[in-house]
Amino acid sequence: MNELRKVLFRDDQETTSMPIVISSRIRLARNLKGYKFPRHSTRMELSRVAETCKSILLGCKLLKDPKIFAIDSLSATERCALVEAHLCSIELSKSEFGAGLLVANGNSSAVMFNEEDHLRLQIFRQDLDFKTMWLRISEFDDYIAHSTNIAYDANFGFLTSCPTNVGTGMRSSVMLHLPGLVITSQVNVVINAVQKLGFVVRGLFGEGTSASGSIFQISNQYTLGLSEIDIISRLYQVIISVIANEELARKWLLKNKSLAVCDNIGRSFGALSWSHTMGSEEAISHLSNMRLAVDYGFLPQAWRAGLDCLLVNVQPSHIQLANDKQLSTEERNIQRATAIRKFFEKMPSLKF
Amino acid sequence: MKKCQFCGKPATVHLTQVINSEMQNVDLCDECAAKHGLFEQSGSPLSVLAALGEAMFGTTNQNLAVNGLICSNCGCTPTIFKESGRLGCENCYKDLRPLIEKIIENSQKGVKHLGKQLANCTSEGNGNAEREAPAPQKHICKNHKCACKHDHKHDLGSLKSELERAIAEERYEDAAVLRDKIKKYSN
Repeated sequence: MNELRKVLFRDDQETTSMPIVISSRIRLARNLKGYKFPRHSTRMELSRVAETCKSILLGCKLLKDPKIFAIDSLSATERCALVEAHLCSIELSKSEFGAGLLVANGNSSAVMFNEEDHLRLQIFRQDLDFKTMWLRISEFDDYIAHSTNIAYDANFGFLTSCPTNVGTGMRSSVMLHLPGLVITSQVNVVINAVQKLGFVVRGLFGEGTSASGSIFQISNQYTLGLSEIDIISRLYQVIISVIANEELARKWLLKNKSLAVCDNIGRSFGALSWSHTMGSEEAISHLSNMRLAVDYGFLPQAWRAGLDCLLVNVQPSHIQLANDKQLSTEERNIQRATAIRKFFEKMPSLKF
Repeated sequence: MKKCQFCGKPATVHLTQVINSEMQNVDLCDECAAKHGLFEQSGSPLSVLAALGEAMFGTTNQNLAVNGLICSNCGCTPTIFKESGRLGCENCYKDLRPLIEKIIENSQKGVKHLGKQLANCTSEGNGNAEREAPAPQKHICKNHKCACKHDHKHDLGSLKSELERAIAEERYEDAAVLRDKIKKYSN
């Protein structure tokens, strides 16, 4: 198994998980002083920046077991798989010469270099512990600033290729599972309110607001005029409020629409356990129902983390890489259903 | 893939409208579409289109109408920025400052960095690198020459947008405080 597959299909999968929250992330954009930003750089400049970034990153003791991938050495499928695993942005996956990705600390830290900015540091967690995430990424950021000169201005803060990221250069985001709000048709009202407070809402796979599997990503819009702690605190407050609304919707559904809820969950359990061909959209929708079933207590809590992992592993490029060969859509659907059936063989039965 | 005409990121929303018998296309990313109220239930699609049309093509296209600027380091101009959605280098923040200020005014919460200071990150550093000076402690308001913390002009802009937000969110007590502040600064 090559290094990339080891990163994508880890043996030590996450075991922590919580209801409604799938994952959280903090990302910091930084640029090296004295170099043009990547999209305006020559190959020689990109190459120099890449070498500088690599040598700094590989000397960082905060990064355990780092693995570096040059994007132009990866196939289109491998690049897509990194996007599916949320380790790499779509923009980086489309980059060529000089662009790279470092993954470390059991996939909880990743650094994109020569993407839109020279460096984009990222920290991930499966809960809402933003304080720990901020302390970790800030320490990492300090290390980078000690190691090289960073593009910075006393007024504008950390200078970025796009002025929408200038200042803190920070994007903090949370991926939320909101089936209760989707089923009760309240999700647009919540999204609208969240947007008015200065946050951006996206679907998991970019299809806009009607996100697959009722999964939404909420992140801060402003990076200048607020401190990092302000940004994180505001996001946290918003997320707590969205979670409270989702919990209310779920309670209402169980009280007033329990037949429909149980029927939906039961049908999804059946489809996942017995199907012999399944498209990725259908799989995401059924797996979303299974996550809801765990949160309702119909399935043991211990299975939530496995379901989150399966949600990524059923994506098209993951299926392709797991089988190590080029597959047609039909072949992928068969392989996907097979992988899901295998997972569900060990799953205990639903207890309503 | 088409790029967002506001920020240059990949566009996911594509709109078409007819202005003076001519078809015009607007491509936006999710973020900018949301920013312009495209997903808001209250705004009719027509009003959204009109606002976008004005921003992108109208005679009042003041968003990026900053001509004659060029970065002395990388040669980036407002036109290049508009096409690519990306600045060329850190020096663009100095040489294209009027453009940057307009973009920041439209897209950010404030105009002054309030986060982590680079000087603090590097205070334990090896000291051989050229560092940015920390932000000056004393600030003189550019517009009124008083020793208040911020520039009033900038304060007014952010206060007005805060006021709009407070009214939209029906936080009338906050709105009253903001209104009084605006009145005070305007005088």
